[in-house]
Amino acid sequence: MATANSSAYRPGLVDMKTGQISREIFVNEQIYAEEQEKIFARAWLFIGHESQIPNPGDYAAARMGEEAVILCRDRTGEVHVFLNSCRHRGMKVCRYDEGNTMVFTCPYHGWSYGTDGRLVGVPFFREAYHSQLDRAQWGLVEVAQLARYKGSVWATWDPAAPPFLEYLGAASGFLDLQLDGWDGREGQAEVLGGVQKWLIPCNWKFPAENFSGDTYHNISHRSVDLAGIGPSGSGRRDMSELLAGRKLHVCLPDRGHQTILYLSPPDDTPRPAYQNTPLVAEYFRHCEEERRRRLGDKARLLGAPGEIFPNTALLSRQPRTMAAWHPKSPHETEVWRWFFVDKDAPSEVKNFLRDYYIRYSGPGGMTEQDDMENWNYAHAASRGTIARRHPYTYEQGIGTAVENFEWQGMRVPGRVVDITDVRSSEEPARNLYRRWAEFMQADSWDELMTWRKNARAAAE
Amino acid sequence: MSDPINIRALMPGTQITLTDGAVAEIVSNPADGVWVFARYLDSPRDPALVGQEEMIFAQDVVAAAPPK
Repeated sequence: MATANSSAYRPGLVDMKTGQISREIFVNEQIYAEEQEKIFARAWLFIGHESQIPNPGDYAAARMGEEAVILCRDRTGEVHVFLNSCRHRGMKVCRYDEGNTMVFTCPYHGWSYGTDGRLVGVPFFREAYHSQLDRAQWGLVEVAQLARYKGSVWATWDPAAPPFLEYLGAASGFLDLQLDGWDGREGQAEVLGGVQKWLIPCNWKFPAENFSGDTYHNISHRSVDLAGIGPSGSGRRDMSELLAGRKLHVCLPDRGHQTILYLSPPDDTPRPAYQNTPLVAEYFRHCEEERRRRLGDKARLLGAPGEIFPNTALLSRQPRTMAAWHPKSPHETEVWRWFFVDKDAPSEVKNFLRDYYIRYSGPGGMTEQDDMENWNYAHAASRGTIARRHPYTYEQGIGTAVENFEWQGMRVPGRVVDITDVRSSEEPARNLYRRWAEFMQADSWDELMTWRKNARAAAE
Repeated sequence: MSDPINIRALMPGTQITLTDGAVAEIVSNPADGVWVFARYLDSPRDPALVGQEEMIFAQDVVAAAPPK
């Protein structure tokens, strides 16, 4: 396959001009190994949420790419993320999913670390080490940078990565839709129940692409739509309030983040939702009223599936959930899914939503099962010698995205495709793979932070 | 050699005797079966340790007396 774009990752793999991408990037062992270094060791990754570790000494297992890490709050309340591996011989120092502890103790030789990561216990320190081991040098490996944003916790191994908010760019607005309260208050989200974790036999980019904003695959969910698993007993979600406005694909090319957004008209009136459960219906009616009062015109933006590069999926409309697609091998992904509610929502609302969320998403969720079926079989069918010769096409809607999209007095940042009438575009997938190729090709963050160069050039 | 002591079960206040003859009182127990936090009451080998709090390794504990 010809590559017209000289900035593509290796000729023949990602061709943004024709919208063709080789199947090799999904199934090739060498490319996968390179991803671990070029993407997962450099990008900001979603770790978890502070509501998982409310108290000093609390910890929760987490992952960064292939590697196990510990999210914990030390005795002074500071949040840390450490590699879950003893500095002596590498054994996991924490083998529980969550809990509270004074120390993380390696079961192999007994080295022990405080919740601040310091090495505090070395067996036979005086006798065998003759008090010579410099314990200060052998604490747990801590991430290079950690960021807390409205309760969510993010980290990167790369000290040269830009600060998290700069990494997000305008995508902080996507994340706000996820983490702010249903009534518009900042950062009201808390994790509902535990984190659902399971394995799927496909490359991590299949789900990442899907959640970037694939509206083309809705036929896959036809049976779920017909069964009516939505919270009001019809369709998949309570979407009626979204139908009055515009449905947009919004992409941030220099960052690699993308999402679906709904934009309501200014005079839109809230529509009833959750009608089968009066208490829940009244709660959301009240929240929506408050949200509009607090946010004003900004309340016209409503979230939908999206993706923070590289592997964090957003879904701010019901079911309100985030996922991380952790690579395990080219052919296997470990999915972690968090469900969110507003922390001060009535328990009846939380219980109602728990039932709805797990009916929809996660390993037992009907909609996610549809998706997994597609990803898993697509991956399996792309591994063969003959299959690998034939690229996928991502040409849908090439050249239709616009900058400075504006509708009824509201501007939306990024490159936008209005899919209200055309139904679908593959601009979000192209945005994902463009950034993927840039990461795979770049030797340093200097090359990846093109927005800084552009800002300097504009200033001059 | 004495039988191994299950240090997970030792409560704060328990006096423990260590392999080098030192005696310490447990201050807190993370219950990981590997370490306890204890304050030295007596340390013939190194008297400077008396009064100090340290993490004590399970294999160093040779005897335990319940809190008085």
